[in-house]
Amino acid sequence: MAKTIMVVDDSASLRQVVSIALKGAGYDVTEACDGKDALTKLKGQKIHLIISDVNMPNMDGIAFVTEAKKLPEYKFTPVIMLTTEAGEDKKQAGQAAGAKAWVVKPFQPAQMLTAVSKLVLP
Amino acid sequence: MNLDEALKTFIIESRELLEQMEEALLHIERAQDDPEIINAIFRAAHTIKGSAGLFGLEYIVAFTHVAESVLDRVRSAELQIGADLVALLLFSRDHIGTLVNHADTGEDPSEASNVRSRELITRLNAYLGHKAEVPATAKNGMPAELEPHLERSSAEHVETDNWHISLRFGRDVLRNGMDPLSFIRYLGTFGTLVNVVTVVETVPPISQLDAESCHLGFEISFQTSVDKAMIEGAFDFVRDDCQIRIMPPHSKISEYVQVIRDLPGKEMRLGEILVQCGTLTAAELEQTLRQQAQSEAQDKRPIGEVLLEQHIVRPEVVAAALDKQKQVKDQKTAESSLIRVDAEKLDQLINLVGELTIASAGTALIAQRAGITELQEAASTLSRLVEKVRDSALTLRMVQIGGTFSRFQRVVRDVSRELGKDIELVISGGETELDKTVVEKIGDPLTHLVRNSMDHGIEPAEVRLAQGKPAKGTLRLNAYHDSGSIVIEVSDDGGGLKKDKILRKAIERGLVQPDANLSDKEIFNLIFEAGFSTADVVSNLSGRGVGMDVVRRNISALRGSIDLDSEEGKGTTISIRLPLTLAIIDGFLVGVGKSSFVVPLDLVVECIELSDEDRRAANERNYLSLRGQVLPYLRLRDMFDVKCAPVRRENVVVVQYGNARAGLVVDSLQGEFQTVIKPLSRIFSHINGIGGSTILGSGEVALILDVPRLVQQVGSQAEKSCLEAA
Amino acid sequence: MPNQKTPKDGSAHFAIEGELTIYRAAELRDAILPQINQADVLEIDLSQVTEIDSAGLQLLVSAKLEAMIRDKQLHFTGHSEPVLEVFDLCDLGGFFGDQVVIAPHTAH
Repeated sequence: MAKTIMVVDDSASLRQVVSIALKGAGYDVTEACDGKDALTKLKGQKIHLIISDVNMPNMDGIAFVTEAKKLPEYKFTPVIMLTTEAGEDKKQAGQAAGAKAWVVKPFQPAQMLTAVSKLVLP
Repeated sequence: MNLDEALKTFIIESRELLEQMEEALLHIERAQDDPEIINAIFRAAHTIKGSAGLFGLEYIVAFTHVAESVLDRVRSAELQIGADLVALLLFSRDHIGTLVNHADTGEDPSEASNVRSRELITRLNAYLGHKAEVPATAKNGMPAELEPHLERSSAEHVETDNWHISLRFGRDVLRNGMDPLSFIRYLGTFGTLVNVVTVVETVPPISQLDAESCHLGFEISFQTSVDKAMIEGAFDFVRDDCQIRIMPPHSKISEYVQVIRDLPGKEMRLGEILVQCGTLTAAELEQTLRQQAQSEAQDKRPIGEVLLEQHIVRPEVVAAALDKQKQVKDQKTAESSLIRVDAEKLDQLINLVGELTIASAGTALIAQRAGITELQEAASTLSRLVEKVRDSALTLRMVQIGGTFSRFQRVVRDVSRELGKDIELVISGGETELDKTVVEKIGDPLTHLVRNSMDHGIEPAEVRLAQGKPAKGTLRLNAYHDSGSIVIEVSDDGGGLKKDKILRKAIERGLVQPDANLSDKEIFNLIFEAGFSTADVVSNLSGRGVGMDVVRRNISALRGSIDLDSEEGKGTTISIRLPLTLAIIDGFLVGVGKSSFVVPLDLVVECIELSDEDRRAANERNYLSLRGQVLPYLRLRDMFDVKCAPVRRENVVVVQYGNARAGLVVDSLQGEFQTVIKPLSRIFSHINGIGGSTILGSGEVALILDVPRLVQQVGSQAEKSCLEAA
Repeated sequence: MPNQKTPKDGSAHFAIEGELTIYRAAELRDAILPQINQADVLEIDLSQVTEIDSAGLQLLVSAKLEAMIRDKQLHFTGHSEPVLEVFDLCDLGGFFGDQVVIAPHTAH
């Protein structure tokens, strides 16, 4: 059974490209456009890994991860945060929230695939 | 979904972000300290850069990166944003737009674009303290770690060709969602796991186990052709709370000593593991242990370990400590709760709803004829529901005009610079909604009106000051709903129109007869006649071949009207009145003889019976008295030459458009009717007073009255007859 | 779910079913410990384990260590495919296997 990865980013094109790359590698992908959307979509399915942007409207990545980690079924789900080189503070906030992995934007699809496969192989 | 489609999404998304960025940039001067706005600008650049990177659009990444760096400084309050920087950022924004266009066409950026990129980057870099900014394109922020600088004397090197990886995972690794096994599996994707030894000694027995803490360790002999950075990369995500030692093939024995030292009390077992791994030979182990004993005796840690430790302090960690960024709250926008729908699909839906409306009206009609009460009730429920469906379908197409308005911030800013005038744009009513198709078509006429007001309306500062006005001119864009229409106003506090001058010019150009007796309004509205220009100087803004007549034509095409009000010295207000939607309206069905006509219900004020007195008087005057007020009226029977026997009782439908009222005399009132507008074919387009047609439930065709036109016509006739009477 | 099976010939049987992961590690730890406390010989059936991660592996190692310390016998049986894969990856077959389990330790 393929592992399911949730991609949370307000950029539709980023989601699409990441999604194409992940699907190509054999993962299943669920997309969400912000934290709120993602929280809704977490329910009722099994997500093995979450990739989330930090800076998003409605609910940012930090708040989202904090909330997601409160759900018993996602307490231990690995999270990759998308950060900027300039976003060290966010990185720390993200780590405090439970997102221990990060990928720096902009990234190539292959880089994302590498990061993902360190945590979950398809 | 493929990459081409994703690229399309990227283009659309980028353009939207650029629009938001522009809007925010235009706001920022007035809201310097609003972190939301600064963040919106930053996020736009950031998102575009992030997504562009995915598509390998390096020229966008490289340029946007510099802009983003500058914005980041602004965000962290290291940089004050001023007019110059805003201007530069606006240029940068435009340039990103150009680059996105290149991505759209799939061409490499033109030489001109590259030159522009370089020029803007130089200017942006000035804000970064002349620091040459290296565009961070493909790097993952993880510099390759230097290998420990250890002296190597061949005698002390181990023989194996394999890397040795020693892993002791931190307690919280599992809780953080990291699975050590995943990292090991990942290593297996670019090398051979020659030997994996699980260090079980560190695991407590189950009676003392906290099952969510990690106590695992691994010693791995690994064969690979990749470099150390790549191996290290596998552990990027756990580096901070794990002990990771990676020893290249043929490492110095002393390095193993440190590994062994890391497991106090378990050295023997570890040494054995190293042998088991094939990392050390038995002889090497012996040597290692000997060395260790020596160093312990000296109570001095081997220098190699110190070095290694130095290397373990990651540059990222240091950077994290030093880099104190101001955390900015995310802008809360509603955008993400929206879904994007193909406009074509929406049109299709509206069309279907139109057909549904007609079908429902047909059902209601048949039900009525059949005289079955239940059927009638069912049909009326159906009509009500269809009506609701229609309304919600139409609201799908409704968009706020604010988006269109805010584009003018930029226009006003640019044009006022061009003209050397100081003009402020004040926007109100941006939340007013109207049909998307209308919004799309209103942009050009509005632009023309705005430019016109700035160019000809608002006076130069010195003139304004001389007249006791503030030096800064004000241009207002306003929108509101008014009886089924949306009214868009463009007003300025400029010099206003000069009646005499307009009239003189109009007479000069033969637009009016010299002896014509015109009201103020009629005179003002002359400027919408073809080939009319009042400007003393034709600036580079006007003279583009687009006159006010074109504006009026555009507005008419949208079934709208345009009106102008002006007071000399005080300013001018141009009002555009447009229907809210172009597809379906609530109609009021009236009958004349055997023909049916539809009056847009929003424009109907009331219906009254035509009194005998008015009927008798109708032959002498073409107005009637409505509660003592003069109401000009029109007989549809005469107007459309309906030939049939006159009925005993006639009715008057009182309609209002703008400020003018008129009565339409009809035979019968047939009630409300949902009207799907079908455009008239070209050959009927010249017929005065008809705006379109619709199909009744019975399948018959009814004509939709062009009430604005009729009101205007009736009004001018009445005015004339009044004047004649006087 | 953990499952107490009918004891036969004096040994206790226990089965772990479903996920053997961090999400259930604490729960399974609390279920296995009393089993080890009560029986001298315990067989844990892993045939119905659908998924196993490091936490699950650690739990098995820890249970085995407990048994070794307290001189009890703990056998894992019916290793499912995911379990075998992990045992193989970590080269732990020897550690758990009856014959070789003590070997690395008795060597010193």
